[in-house]
Amino acid sequence: MSIEITNLSKRYKENLVLDNINLTIQEGSIFGLLGPNGAGKSTLVSILNNILSKDSGQIVFFGKDFDKNTSYVKSLCSFVPQTYAFYTDLTCYENLEFFASLYGLKSSDLKNRIQYCIKITSLEKYENKRASTLSGGVKRRLNIAIGLLNDPKVLYLDEPTVGIDPQSRNYILKMIKNINLQNNLTIIYTSHYMEEIEYLCDDIAILDKSKIILHEKKENLLNKKEVFIELENNESKTIDVSDSYDEFTKFIASQNNIKDIQFKHKNLENMFLELTKQDLRD
Amino acid sequence: MLKYILKKEFLLVFRNLHAVGVLFIMPMAFILIMSLALKNTYSSEVEKKLDIVFVSNQNSNAIKSITKDFQDNKFFNIKSISNTTKKDLLYENKNSFLVDIPKDVFKAIHNKDELSIKIYSKPDAQQDKLELLKNLLIKSISSIYVKNITQGQNINANFNLEEFISKHYIYKNKEFNIKPNSVQQSVPAWLVFSMFFILIPISNTFIQEKLLGTSNRIKSINVSLWPIMFGKMLPYYIINQIQVILMILVGIFIVPKLGGDSLVIQGNLFYIFIISSFISFAAISFALFISMISKTSEDATSFGGLSNIILAALGGIMVPKIVMPEFMQNITEYSPMAWGLQSFLEVFVRGGNINDFAVYLVYLFIFGIIMLGISYILLKRKNK
Repeated sequence: MSIEITNLSKRYKENLVLDNINLTIQEGSIFGLLGPNGAGKSTLVSILNNILSKDSGQIVFFGKDFDKNTSYVKSLCSFVPQTYAFYTDLTCYENLEFFASLYGLKSSDLKNRIQYCIKITSLEKYENKRASTLSGGVKRRLNIAIGLLNDPKVLYLDEPTVGIDPQSRNYILKMIKNINLQNNLTIIYTSHYMEEIEYLCDDIAILDKSKIILHEKKENLLNKKEVFIELENNESKTIDVSDSYDEFTKFIASQNNIKDIQFKHKNLENMFLELTKQDLRD
Repeated sequence: MLKYILKKEFLLVFRNLHAVGVLFIMPMAFILIMSLALKNTYSSEVEKKLDIVFVSNQNSNAIKSITKDFQDNKFFNIKSISNTTKKDLLYENKNSFLVDIPKDVFKAIHNKDELSIKIYSKPDAQQDKLELLKNLLIKSISSIYVKNITQGQNINANFNLEEFISKHYIYKNKEFNIKPNSVQQSVPAWLVFSMFFILIPISNTFIQEKLLGTSNRIKSINVSLWPIMFGKMLPYYIINQIQVILMILVGIFIVPKLGGDSLVIQGNLFYIFIISSFISFAAISFALFISMISKTSEDATSFGGLSNIILAALGGIMVPKIVMPEFMQNITEYSPMAWGLQSFLEVFVRGGNINDFAVYLVYLFIFGIIMLGISYILLKRKNK
């Protein structure tokens, strides 16, 4: 277990943003955090990165108390924000050099680590180009390269594929999977793209209206099955049959006007919309 | 680490053409323009005599003697009257002043009769030149009248007091002997102004870091706040010192090439370094404060730029303090730019030593500490 969160709460003035969050994140896993806009994802990630303070609750980080070991926690983590969090007037190399120095890297260690990050994110061609001149996909790769400079144990990726073309997105997803496998890196991944979460993540949690409303292993989630029953009077009913068919058989026995029955495997998007009630969010 | 922090800040400033323009090009241009524009304000030399016309009866002996007395003055050129209106003499013939003296002026003075001497000018005439003409007329009429009434007596009325009056400046440092000139005033003034404009690149970088999430990324890294803060202040302090050197060089080498006076540096150079360091501390702290209260670069540029211009106007940067009325001079005392400027003027113009400007340095330091303290509190509050 790498991170254990117990009863975590955070309030902005009157607004309760995180309400008694309980989560466990396994070491070496890719943990997908889903949620509509304003659900509290960014607040949770900011607390885990020491950018914001929590109001209450406890976090145990690789066996150590989070609050009492801030330096230790920071040294193991890296945060890749959704925005291009680097200097657009500097070249890729100058950006990497600056952030590597903040991580305490010096002389040959600094150069070697920069070269490793450039190679793993395929930035060789862009090393000496100013960040402002790069395409969205290359900027995303630079954002991730900076996040890998300190050889972290836990990498937070906040929507790392927003606004880029499908090829770049595909490349970045494969890259993230490789980094996770090669380095046994724990990755906490937030995204709005369900197919990305389905492709990448081992564990999935949905955060909505300040609460965790679902936390499951991906295989359990995607094994969920349901039956959609349409009646002749245009009414319909959906029954979850992942664990048992009892409710389904009872319902069928009680009806004599069934028009259609469809068996489905649930996908993440359906589940997400079902759980978050489909209503529009700000 | 510090090496790369400094490298980053320097690259960001020098790759930003707007910042380079505001920090270096703008003050250089101001120094050149203002040194040349105010050249005559600090000099008793007259570049071009102003044309005046005596519109009185030219055949009168009294007018002839006054006109003759005026021939040798170094401020006004007497032109002969032409048969045209007063309005045309001023607006068409471009004379600066018209003087109307009654033909029997001396008789009127002697008999204590009613007397009226009129000076005509355009409404936008230079008031100091008008006063000068008035005084010259008083001097001329008085001396001729005294000569007339003492004629035949054994009294020497034919003397010129001006020959016996000379100007002497007393400096605080006895080895100091710089003649006051406009460049001596404008270099320190626009230097202080440009040093405070460091807020443009500081606030832009700071706000970009906030908006792009770079500051959050840095916060999440295991690095103390102090090298970051120090790394933010030190490059801009160095840039301020580069401004000092460049502006002084402009005063020494460029202004004289364009017809202005040359800046002369006498006294202790270390004083200039000390003063510029305190100004820099105050300017950078003020920039951090503006960065903290601004949400966007546009906010910082407009609010910071506006406050700088107001501080400059109040601080005697745009209009020299010596030409301000007393109540404005009192207000000047509350502008940090004035504290910086007065310190520099002590060194550049009056030959003063550290005791003469120490109080301004204390003001600048207190101002810097207050701005820095508020910025720190705002930063802490935002992090919560």
